[in-house]
Amino acid sequence: MMSRSVSPSPDDLLEWQLCSDPAQLSDSRKRVEAFARTCGLSGSACNDLGLCANEALANIMRHAYSGVTDQPIRVTAQRLPDGVKLSIRDWGNGVNPASLPARPKDPTQPGGLGMICLRSLVDVVRFTPQPDGMLLEMQKKKA
Amino acid sequence: MPTINTSSDLIREARQEGSEVFCTIAGEIDLHTSPELRTELLDILQKTAAKNLTLDLSNVPYMDSSAIAVMVEALQRLRKLGGSVALTHLQPRVKGLLEIARLNTIFTIKE
Repeated sequence: MMSRSVSPSPDDLLEWQLCSDPAQLSDSRKRVEAFARTCGLSGSACNDLGLCANEALANIMRHAYSGVTDQPIRVTAQRLPDGVKLSIRDWGNGVNPASLPARPKDPTQPGGLGMICLRSLVDVVRFTPQPDGMLLEMQKKKA
Repeated sequence: MPTINTSSDLIREARQEGSEVFCTIAGEIDLHTSPELRTELLDILQKTAAKNLTLDLSNVPYMDSSAIAVMVEALQRLRKLGGSVALTHLQPRVKGLLEIARLNTIFTIKE
């Protein structure tokens, strides 16, 4: 008997891979925003998710891969009944950003703003350490 | 009002008036472009010995935390001289990010 696999529609699932090169940030952010629009998120919700994708990817490039620009990152965007789920997988140093010290109380001191964005702008943020890196999952619900 | 020469497309115009420098920034600023913006802005501050900096952000539709870090670094330098950084004509996404970062009260925000 032949088995038949049903591929999800590109409207429901979008996956791509990029290198840890900041030059690729803008393209991936815009892909996330465009996908979120097709899933019915409001303009501001699309922007929020795009910014969070940017911040998460930038953190991976700067910290997980220590600025090395040829390492892989995989992004999966998935339509949910009530919003969008974004999964970002890296094969970097495996440090969980959520376990790092919170942003300094003085807002002019550097550090931690990317995590502030994630915690403020999406509904679910979950870091799951992998044997060889990190999986970040974020969900943004429709308003 | 003397015009300041820059080598970056991110700074569309820069000019000095007394101890104040006015820069018009253009484009999306993220981790890819913010190092160039940092280099140019700090170079301008150094060669003009400016005390106050005004950044016109009307042509900046998007920036991320790395761009915020550049502006904060400029602010910290100028504060040591008793100066400040003003931001004008913020687009909604930029304004929202400054609010999340709690930096909307640190910079002087002008319409």
